[in-house]
Amino acid sequence: MFGLIGHSSSFRDARLKARDLGLEELAEGELDLWCSAPPQLVETFELTSATGQTIQGTYIDSCFVPEMLSRFKTATRKVQNAMELAQKKGINITALGGFTSIIFENFNLSKFQQIRATLLQWERFTTGNTHTAWVICRQVEQNAPRLGIDLSKAKVAVVGATGDIGSAVCRWLARRTGVAELLLVARQQQRLEDLRQELGAARVLSLEEALPEADVVVWVASLPQTLSIEAESLRKPCLMIDGGYPKNLDSRVASEHVTVLKGGIVEFVRDIGWQMMEMAEMSNPRRQLFACFAEAMLLEFEGWHTNFSWGRNNITLEAMEQIGAASIRHGFSALGLEQVEASAIALVA
Amino acid sequence: MAPIAAELPDFTTEAYKTAYSRINAIVIEGEQEAYDNYLSLGTLLPDQKEPLAQLARMELKHMKGFQACGKNLGVEPAMAFAKDFFAPLHNNFQTALGEGKVVTCLVIQALMIEAFAIAAYHIYIPVADPFARKITEGVVKDEYTHLNYGQEWLKARFETVRSEIEQANKINLPIIRRMLDQVADDAAVLHMEKESLIEDFLIAYQEALMDIGFGSRDLARMSAAALVA
Repeated sequence: MFGLIGHSSSFRDARLKARDLGLEELAEGELDLWCSAPPQLVETFELTSATGQTIQGTYIDSCFVPEMLSRFKTATRKVQNAMELAQKKGINITALGGFTSIIFENFNLSKFQQIRATLLQWERFTTGNTHTAWVICRQVEQNAPRLGIDLSKAKVAVVGATGDIGSAVCRWLARRTGVAELLLVARQQQRLEDLRQELGAARVLSLEEALPEADVVVWVASLPQTLSIEAESLRKPCLMIDGGYPKNLDSRVASEHVTVLKGGIVEFVRDIGWQMMEMAEMSNPRRQLFACFAEAMLLEFEGWHTNFSWGRNNITLEAMEQIGAASIRHGFSALGLEQVEASAIALVA
Repeated sequence: MAPIAAELPDFTTEAYKTAYSRINAIVIEGEQEAYDNYLSLGTLLPDQKEPLAQLARMELKHMKGFQACGKNLGVEPAMAFAKDFFAPLHNNFQTALGEGKVVTCLVIQALMIEAFAIAAYHIYIPVADPFARKITEGVVKDEYTHLNYGQEWLKARFETVRSEIEQANKINLPIIRRMLDQVADDAAVLHMEKESLIEDFLIAYQEALMDIGFGSRDLARMSAAALVA
């Protein structure tokens, strides 16, 4: 059994979902009420790999909503309680989706292993970042050429380059993809300098400097509220991979020569019998999901019951290759422009 | 970001002692009620008399431990307050007992009160004085056994007891919520937050309900009354 810990993308969505489930009190309740709500086992479902193997999964809603981010203790409790529930249910491997892994990492929750009577076993959890990083790189490799961008001559900016996913993406693009030049953007100067030295050929730039130069922009940082992007100043064409969370880049840039693709999303080879992805704003919720969730599925398919992605800056190219091969084998594909176009046509029709 | 470290209150202030006199009394009264309730349940379940008497004895031991915690801080427990605090739940238990409703009695004592105690004790331990901390750590282990007792009994008869559990839940969960609200200000002085008291209570309570046989939709529906003030 694998597990997924997720949450609603906003308080508004959480209330809608509660109404859907017939929980009027919750749907009407204010944020304070939700702050006391315990994690919920929402559903258990089956998944059959391209190889024919079938596994079972459970979706846990932590009852966290992004509006709780400023409430440090509340956010912490939501993550810890959801993890405790997953472990108590005996789930082998659980992915920390959305803000769950971000809260875990930023609030340093690895220091707090004891939750009431439960000692959390870290090997039962994964951030899913290795698979997410691999999928983002594949999205760059597969979609840039479709727009006429030759990666061997292209400049690729990585915004959030020093993060867990960002640094892995940089390593892969430099060593495996062989992009012409990497432009590194992040806030922490020392980490940036360390990364630049590790990579060899890469430049450290500010966001304003990097954007006009980049043929491809990979976003793996959450966007500043005030960010506005002047589409006219960008390269033509320009591919943007929105790998941050939440995914709202497409509302910030609108221009016919800028293509925004949701990053770190995969499509499965067949329908998955679950309900909860419908609120996650996937264009095909029966088959599309976050790559971090798919990592837990892959680890269960392969019987790799270990915290495959854990901590910061531990993602190796070998691990990305390993999870990438499993991803293809079991029937996942990285979300590409063709799926986006197909769903746009379906909407028009 | 800084990790969360439980900040200890000053156990010597008047404000702390006043709040503690009520909280300590609630805990003592709660253990006393538990003792009485388990013995009473033995009259409805004669074949279970011995294990129930054993649970009751444990509760009495806990009560003495908590009395010692009050003495250690030089605090006189406000027992009259605590009796009023438990009165609505106490009355409902007595009514159910009089009507021979074992299921309702178990829901009140073995599920609700035990889950309430487990939640409160877990949250209290990191902010307790060293003496009370040690005692409470010992108690919390026992309380899981008590929750488990009610759980097992109800689980074995799930289909026949289901609707009575739902009914008992409907009537008594709002009372639990009012009790949580009533204790919130004093608990805050002890550095115990209301938000986490409610959440932890629901975690323990829902876990018991799920083990008994309720599905996840039922849990959310049944526990909503504890969330709405």
